[in-house]
Amino acid sequence: MARNLMRFTGVGGQGVLLAGEIFAAAKIKSGGEGLKTATYTSQVRGGPTVVDITLDDDEIFYPYANDGEIDFMLSVAQVSYNSFKSGVTPGGTIVVDPNLVHPSDEDRKTWNIYEIPIITIAKEEVGNVITQSVVALAIANTMQNAIERQTLIDTMLSKVPAKVHAANLKAYELGEKYANEAMNK
Amino acid sequence: MATREVISTGNELSALAAKDAGCRFFGGYPITPSSEVMHEMSDLMPEVGGVCIQMEDEIAGVAAAIGAGMAGVRTMTATSGPGISLKAENLGLAQMAEVPLVVVNVMRGGPSTGLPTRVSQGDVRQAKNPSHGDYRSITLCAGSLAECYTETVRAFNLADRFMQPVFVLLDETIGHMHGKAMLPTEEEVAQGIVPRKTFDGAPEDYLPYQCEQDQPAVLNPMFKGYRYHFTGLHHDAKGFPTEEIETCRKLIQRLEDKVMMHTDEIELNEEFMLDDMTGAEGEVLIIAYGSVSLAAKEAIRHLRAQGIKAGLFRPITLWPSPAESIKKYTDMIKNVLCVELNIRQYTEEIERVSGRLDLEGLYKVNGRPISPYEIVNKVKEVF
Repeated sequence: MARNLMRFTGVGGQGVLLAGEIFAAAKIKSGGEGLKTATYTSQVRGGPTVVDITLDDDEIFYPYANDGEIDFMLSVAQVSYNSFKSGVTPGGTIVVDPNLVHPSDEDRKTWNIYEIPIITIAKEEVGNVITQSVVALAIANTMQNAIERQTLIDTMLSKVPAKVHAANLKAYELGEKYANEAMNK
Repeated sequence: MATREVISTGNELSALAAKDAGCRFFGGYPITPSSEVMHEMSDLMPEVGGVCIQMEDEIAGVAAAIGAGMAGVRTMTATSGPGISLKAENLGLAQMAEVPLVVVNVMRGGPSTGLPTRVSQGDVRQAKNPSHGDYRSITLCAGSLAECYTETVRAFNLADRFMQPVFVLLDETIGHMHGKAMLPTEEEVAQGIVPRKTFDGAPEDYLPYQCEQDQPAVLNPMFKGYRYHFTGLHHDAKGFPTEEIETCRKLIQRLEDKVMMHTDEIELNEEFMLDDMTGAEGEVLIIAYGSVSLAAKEAIRHLRAQGIKAGLFRPITLWPSPAESIKKYTDMIKNVLCVELNIRQYTEEIERVSGRLDLEGLYKVNGRPISPYEIVNKVKEVF
């Protein structure tokens, strides 16, 4: 596998960090290398946050995604989308929550933009808004085929409390379903 | 060497290392980007019968940690640059009274409160001399997740060997990055622990500060029947203040010599892709440390793929600087690029030890990391 670079962006407090940790850990458990870095501002809540995930079969030194090389970005906040979209390689994939992020027509020509209401899925279909990071995780992996599905699910479950396993599993399956529907449209 | 795979962050690995190295006291005050060291210590210390205490401020944090050191316990504090500024006076006390202590500094942008959540290497010069007076800093700098662990372990052993504070420099990037680290086993670390020397003769014969001129004081733990005095003033063999001319001179000279006459026990470097260097024209030596060295290694991969023979010299012990090792390479290779997340803080040391004033530099102070491509472009631009 060549290097896979993914970027999750949102605002502080949305839980975008967790998805990155799960990706990195799952890749390492599969025998490869994974690194997650997060960049955030001094604001406790509401500041733009970006998580870079680098997955590779070979050793990774530099832990950040180089701008222009990112294959996949997921964004749940307009401010972060605006700040970080330029890092995505032209023709790359961007997933946005259409209730929160409004890409321009120009953006739609540059990247493959999919609209999936991630927060609404977590809040209304799963019943727990915190599971949005797992919905996002499932969408990213379904579109990128980065990690073997069961390894990623097992890693995810190992990082959340047992009492919410069922909800997170449901979140993963819903994310997967919506991602497949978006790609098949 | 037996190893174990751990998936974690640099800050958490530093705390784990402290626990495994026998640290049983943490005194501190949380500050971004170092807070996770304290969070983790607050979980780990009670599990092993140790103490983690959040004091009322940075100054009290280091004071508590030094107090534990006086009592004979392996002790640590963690902070960032603004915290070191506040702790400086007490760090001077620990140098003068010869109290072992590990100080983890996860660097962020400065001066003052700077850029709290952003990366920097702006505390390299500060680590050399955080407080006034003559003494020699021992400063280690982690350049990978695994080194956040191994350098913290090493710091504890050096602190007890040299009886003084030892700095471990991390930075926001390496402290917060999350990935795989291959670590020595807990048993192996435990076997490597060399506790500080103690005096076991009659209490009335005990002179803690009377020692060879190149050796540290021998400080027995307090409350064990051996009475002596701690002070920041110049002091005599028993630790009491004195202004006797020769005693004062010998004390400060010993603080210098106990470190500088044993740099071979402290120096540690990484030489990355330097083994095929011959001094031929066109070869490029990059000197970088900490998280910047990760970008440098990636840059070297790109440069070599493009036919430019580049390699990295990375000091892991920053202070005292590895003067002879640096000079060996700067004598051999003409094209030298220093890369730092500050403005020439270590480059000036490289100039000093190499005797060269024609070194190129790439510096950044806006809180953002230096990318591999910036290094590649700089190499192509200046050489």
